[in-house]
Amino acid sequence: MEVLIILFPLIAFLLIGLFGRRLGDLPSAIITVLGSALSFIFSIPALLKALNSPFSVKLYDFISLGSYTLTLGLYFDPLSAITTSLVCFISTLIFIYSIGYMENFFGQWTYKFYAYLSFFLFSMLLIVLSDNLLGMFFGWEGVGLASYLLIGYFHQQKYATNSAFEAFVMNRIGDWLFLFGIFSIFYLFGSLNLLEIFSKVKEIDPNLLGLAVLLLFGGAVGKSGQVPLHTWLPNAMAGPTPVSALLHSSTMVAAGVYMVARLYPVFESAPQGLKVVALIGGFTALFASLAATSHTDIKKIIAFSTMSQLGLMFLALGIGDKSSAMFHLTTHAFFKALLFLSAGSIIHAFHHHVRDIYGVGGLKKHMPITYATFFVGALALAGIFPFAGFWSKDLIIASSYDSSFGLGVFVSFVSFLTAYYIFREGFVMFYGPERHKGHFEEEPHEAPSVMLVPMVVLAIGSAVAGFFEGWYMSALKDHKEIHLNIAISSVAIALLGIGLAYLVFVKRVLDPEKLYQSLKPVHTTFREQFFTERLYHKGLARGYMELSRGLFLVGDRFLIDGFINLLNFLYFRVVKFLWIKLDIYTVDLFVNGVARFSFRFGRKASLIQTGLLNNYVAFLLFGLVVLLGIIIYFMG
Amino acid sequence: MKMVPLEAYLILSLLLFGLGVFGMIVRRNLVAILMSTELALNAVNVAFVGADSHLGLVDGQVFALFIIALAAVEAAVGLGIIVAIFRLRKVESSDELTDMGG
Repeated sequence: MEVLIILFPLIAFLLIGLFGRRLGDLPSAIITVLGSALSFIFSIPALLKALNSPFSVKLYDFISLGSYTLTLGLYFDPLSAITTSLVCFISTLIFIYSIGYMENFFGQWTYKFYAYLSFFLFSMLLIVLSDNLLGMFFGWEGVGLASYLLIGYFHQQKYATNSAFEAFVMNRIGDWLFLFGIFSIFYLFGSLNLLEIFSKVKEIDPNLLGLAVLLLFGGAVGKSGQVPLHTWLPNAMAGPTPVSALLHSSTMVAAGVYMVARLYPVFESAPQGLKVVALIGGFTALFASLAATSHTDIKKIIAFSTMSQLGLMFLALGIGDKSSAMFHLTTHAFFKALLFLSAGSIIHAFHHHVRDIYGVGGLKKHMPITYATFFVGALALAGIFPFAGFWSKDLIIASSYDSSFGLGVFVSFVSFLTAYYIFREGFVMFYGPERHKGHFEEEPHEAPSVMLVPMVVLAIGSAVAGFFEGWYMSALKDHKEIHLNIAISSVAIALLGIGLAYLVFVKRVLDPEKLYQSLKPVHTTFREQFFTERLYHKGLARGYMELSRGLFLVGDRFLIDGFINLLNFLYFRVVKFLWIKLDIYTVDLFVNGVARFSFRFGRKASLIQTGLLNNYVAFLLFGLVVLLGIIIYFMG
Repeated sequence: MKMVPLEAYLILSLLLFGLGVFGMIVRRNLVAILMSTELALNAVNVAFVGADSHLGLVDGQVFALFIIALAAVEAAVGLGIIVAIFRLRKVESSDELTDMGG
């Protein structure tokens, strides 16, 4: 029964992948939605069962390695079961939304898009549910492949293919580390099964374990877009918006956080590793929120926000608060999907021709529902009571203050920035002058209901998901209390950020243009992600390209091609020499000589054949005499 | 009765055969060539019969009879061919019948 959860998306993928062209695009979309919806429905009883007692489902024996047999299977405990339901639920809504979003592309082999989406969901579920690291790695790679295909879905655009390529390469670095992490885990524990690993974790030397943990975390860094493997994440916005929503809410990037949470007993036993997790997470959180404050791409701001929120989750994991991190991941999935879908609704309204927040404005009166959903998402992200983000972020802030006062202040500052940048985006797009006038002929319109319904459902989810905190914590066997003073102070900080954005971008107390001019170097630094992207693209990637080109010129063009050409030249010379000397002068001479001799001799010899009867008689006589002479000579 | 010696027969035969062959080589008239052939055949007959009478056997005489019959046939066929050629081509000399030449 539980196997079906993971099989439905796979079946949908195979159906669409094999027969999509015959089925058509809309039926493919419906199959995709059905696949994920069925997975969601089947995940509910599994969740209820897992809440009572965790259980495993064995699939089959994969490889026998001597005495050790690698068994692939699924493991349901509250963590994986809740995440499964969440992933299926969010995915279903996004898939429904994508029918409206991709409608203009129907008829252009869009079934491929849905096949990729189903495969994406399948891979993610494999990561979440797998009971061993190898199965998780399969899903890990599948997610990487699906994200590559989906980010580069608009493959007519060079930008999209480059972004897809970048995502793939960055992920490859992470996957490589993850694979080595799995090797070291197998080396240390002699097993890849999660439960066996957890049971033996105390017996292992923490230093060795720390190394393994760092390698595993390297995989999470790549998958979740943390510094220093972060540049692919904002560039992944080149894909269609439903993909961005899927990527950023519940599937791809959540995999990194989920993996750390899944292997948390291992991470816990290596405190040095956890410090690195916290450090990277905290740094990314600040880094990405600073980048988000100055970026102007509609989707990239939200992408940076994802990076920053994931950084907070890693920070929470690093300081030992797994349940808060996972709860934040859950609520984040709702409001981040909502924000992306709202942004997609705006992009859809402008027929995919708008990317910059300063390209639009005053959309409030044209798109009231999108306006409402976007601001619900923004309030949830900013952490305003009673929206979902408040509850989960508050837990992280509280844990940080518990850990140390400085860390708490740091996280509060990040939440301040978060509130500022997301409301900056909202205020610029929905208030102010209608900047899109003149560039677009028709008025922006509200999205079709097939897009609005998922948005509204997610908005409701974003509003109320926080109230499940108590239930969630009891499911994860943890207990949290809301610290009133921290809650009040964090809401106040968030309101401060919102107020700042409101004053600057709506009331225009300070002119954003003048501010921009005076703070241009800072702004550029933030916007360019502290020039890391430039460093990677211009420095590493181009340096590698130039090095390759240099090696190509020296090694390939000069040495190898030169050698080959020299051989070619010499061989040609030798062959030509042999051809002239042997073939023409010797063989041809002989053959032609034989031919000429035969011809001339034949011509001469034929003269004997006169045709005159008397001559024949004479020859007859001559021959007879010769024969008789021979006979007599030799017989006598 | 004094026996004619074998050598006499053989010399006669050789002379006749030589004459026949010589005639075949030098004469250009087709009829003359045919006649020379007959002469050569009869020279052989003389040799056969002479050898028989010397040895007291009959084999040579039987052979001679065969050759006489063969010569008659040959004369008939040969003359027929010569007449046919003459009718077709109006020639009687072997000089003008060199179509088989190389």
